[in-house]
Amino acid sequence: MSDIIFDVQNVTFRYDELTALDDLSLSIKQNQRIAVLGANGSGKSTFLRLLDGLYFPDKGTVSAFDEPLTEESFQNEEYAFRFRRRVALVFQNPDVQLFNPTVFDEVAFGPLQLRWEKDEIRRRVTETLETLEIAHLKDRSPHRLSGGEKKRVALASVLILDPQVLLMDEPTAALDPKSRGQVVDFLINWGGTAKTVITATHDLDIIEDIADFCFVFQNGRVAGFGTPAQILNDQNLLESTNLIHAHRHAHANGKIHSHSHRHRFHDHDHDHE
Amino acid sequence: MHIPDGYLSPVTCAVLYAAAAPFWAIALRRVKRLLNTKLVPLLSLFAAFSFVIMMFNIPLPGGTTGHAVGVGIATIVLGPWGSMLAISVALLIQALFFGDGGITAFGANCFNMAIVGSLVANAVYRTIGRGAAITSTRRVVAASLAGYAAINAAAFCASIEFGIQPLLFHDASGAPLYAPYPLSIAVPAMMIGHLTFAGLAELITAGGVVAYLQRSDSSLLKLTAPDAPDENSIEKSGWRVTRPLWIGLAALMILTPLGLLAAGTAWGEWSAEDFNDPAGREQIANASRNQSPPDAPPEGLVRLSSVWTAPIPDYAPPFMNSAEFGYIMSAMFGTGLIIAVFLLGGWIAGLINRGSKNAPPETGNN
Amino acid sequence: MNPVSNHKLKSTPTRKKRRGSFIERTLSTLIRKTERALFAEELARKEGFLQKLDPRVKIIGLLALILDATLARNFFTIIFIFAIAVLLAIVSHVPLRTLAVRTWLSVLTFTGTIALPVIFITPGDALFRLPLLGWTITAQGVTSALYLLLRVETTVTLSLLLVLCTLWTHVLKGLRVLGVPVVFVVILGMTYRYIFVMLETARNMFEARQSRLIGSLDARESRRIAAASIGVLLTKSFYLNTEVFMAMQSRGFRGEVYTLDDFMMRGRDWLALAAFLLLALAGFWFGRQDSLQSFVNLHF
Repeated sequence: MSDIIFDVQNVTFRYDELTALDDLSLSIKQNQRIAVLGANGSGKSTFLRLLDGLYFPDKGTVSAFDEPLTEESFQNEEYAFRFRRRVALVFQNPDVQLFNPTVFDEVAFGPLQLRWEKDEIRRRVTETLETLEIAHLKDRSPHRLSGGEKKRVALASVLILDPQVLLMDEPTAALDPKSRGQVVDFLINWGGTAKTVITATHDLDIIEDIADFCFVFQNGRVAGFGTPAQILNDQNLLESTNLIHAHRHAHANGKIHSHSHRHRFHDHDHDHE
Repeated sequence: MHIPDGYLSPVTCAVLYAAAAPFWAIALRRVKRLLNTKLVPLLSLFAAFSFVIMMFNIPLPGGTTGHAVGVGIATIVLGPWGSMLAISVALLIQALFFGDGGITAFGANCFNMAIVGSLVANAVYRTIGRGAAITSTRRVVAASLAGYAAINAAAFCASIEFGIQPLLFHDASGAPLYAPYPLSIAVPAMMIGHLTFAGLAELITAGGVVAYLQRSDSSLLKLTAPDAPDENSIEKSGWRVTRPLWIGLAALMILTPLGLLAAGTAWGEWSAEDFNDPAGREQIANASRNQSPPDAPPEGLVRLSSVWTAPIPDYAPPFMNSAEFGYIMSAMFGTGLIIAVFLLGGWIAGLINRGSKNAPPETGNN
Repeated sequence: MNPVSNHKLKSTPTRKKRRGSFIERTLSTLIRKTERALFAEELARKEGFLQKLDPRVKIIGLLALILDATLARNFFTIIFIFAIAVLLAIVSHVPLRTLAVRTWLSVLTFTGTIALPVIFITPGDALFRLPLLGWTITAQGVTSALYLLLRVETTVTLSLLLVLCTLWTHVLKGLRVLGVPVVFVVILGMTYRYIFVMLETARNMFEARQSRLIGSLDARESRRIAAASIGVLLTKSFYLNTEVFMAMQSRGFRGEVYTLDDFMMRGRDWLALAAFLLLALAGFWFGRQDSLQSFVNLHF
């Protein structure tokens, strides 16, 4: 197997009228820790779903582990199970990911669908819950959990499969500072160097901790790439892709001061209703 | 409208479970074929939606509020089969997890609200809204009337179920064991309440939500109206051609419940003496909210009941020859006829079409 | 027309004056519903008789008693089953006050109102003639009203016991083990789970409305807001539907669902099952006889 695990070539993806990904090409190597940066609507969530085999491109090709990732390939149960076990996606909104009656059932859901042995499932669920320090929540219903607890249960529900690739969609959105810190700690430690982690985020404060390499998305295209340090020093790139904005505020001396500003510990709940 | 346990005899409940079962089976097959693997999340989310809608207090004219079942809007968005299943699941959750609405009466509640309600709403919405643009006012009118007709049809079924209880189930002394009011009282009492008041909550909900969706997210309305013309391409003639049809239907709908009302007083099982005895008539009048009963048993009733009893030979079991049996048969025949007509309409109008493409992940957050 | 849901579990500070706007009323309904579920969950975690039973035994046993109560053709049987229900409530730490207020009283007012005219209009043997009005109370009328009331009180109490003494997740598993198709059980579970998401969304929507509201709304505006709120919820359910489906797919879901069912019937469960069935059978047997007959049998 070659080094490259995801190869995206000239991919275009549209929702009814909106173009989310526009002739996008990039490839991701094994055991890399990648951050996909971009403002809302830049296509980064769509990109993760494409890598997870949930969306399929309107134009262009995606291949994963040297095999084409197409709707047809998922018709094959063996292929589907193999892929689902290797690649896991943690959704931004934990409410969509926690659909089972209890935390225990939630974590058992994945292995059950992949037809693991039931005793093995029980054992692994208990183990996973203990690793993430949520064993005490096992009989709780998701609607009785806090935001941070929900995030950890969502993580547990995919980590039980021991995936090679972890896709994280805005893992720190809408979390309190403590839970946010825990998620970042987890991402730093998980799997050592033997795993691939791709995190979509617009939280610039965490990227140096969680990524070795970044792609910056804008309007469904790659607007820039580089190491976290390179990206963070490129003021023009960050401003033109709306990751930071010129911030104006009045000082005590009456002078209006303008400087670029990036959000620190802002828990944006992007609510558009 | 949720019938609790204890109002209907177990036999009635069993019959209505049996009546609902084939609809559930057909609906499940259809929806499954259409949605394939999406069945589970779709039904769950729309059942949850229906459940929460039932909690809403809908403002009614006169400063009061009422509850809607949501069967009108569910049918318009999901089609009759999806709506049937979603509302049934919502009713089951009510009964099993919240202790509201009967467990033995679950089949009856589903039959009335989920099944009859969805089919009637679908027929009315399809007929009146046919060919109308997604954003046309006609769709709002169609939706309002669909909700109103659906809930009244459901109430009518419930009232029939209530009304036949005292005829069929009483102890040796003649005291009714379950819902005690005969058809002559149950039907008008339920229908007056729903035609004038409770039905409005459903009317406002269905019409209002369609009007809202037209402005904010008209793609949701396209699921059951895939062939609706675009706003710009709609010709005046389309409206003109179908106008007599839907005016006629609306008139029919308004008149039908009135007719049923009149017939309702006739469908009771008061004996001829009761009708002639002034005191007895006064009692009936009081009980049926001052609807004064006819002076004599209506002829139509006698004729209708004999339609059913006449062909039954004398050696048949005695109960089949009784007047009550005739009344029940005619009541069932009437209800069946209405449902059959609506069903036929729904069938002709076609079935729900496939869902639209996924929404972008970022748009509809929290 | 729901006798139970019209009455609240316990009074809450959020309760507004009797005739608040529809926003206030809807809010209080939504809050009440959530509170009830939480109350049931609390109670279901207590160490009572019913709580400790296997959910399958509870479902079968209580359903059998409900069926008995609806089948019975005499008062004695219904009252007997009612007494069993009260006894079960006591040994399961269900506060009788809650039952009395939430169930018995509300059924009495609702079904009682419905049943009252029956005592006058049912043809039969006159018992008493009201002065002035000249209406006659008949024996059959009184009997019939009592049947309705007793039956509804008994069945509502029994179904509430099931709700209050069983964790909803156990009801689900119980159904699964009793042979309800797994797809229905999963749908029921997901529905219940997302009811809370929707309740919360609705609650936030109405609270935001309420805080922005100055003065009172006219009727037209109220109706517009009500419809728009339902529309928002509908859009939300579509959004959740696509998202949840993808989250399921991402973890290997292919249309068929698999679940873990682990229940152990212990000695106590078998005993309870036998007791329930025996009671149900006895209830069925005695319930077959008409009231008058059993009355006669008792006295002569």
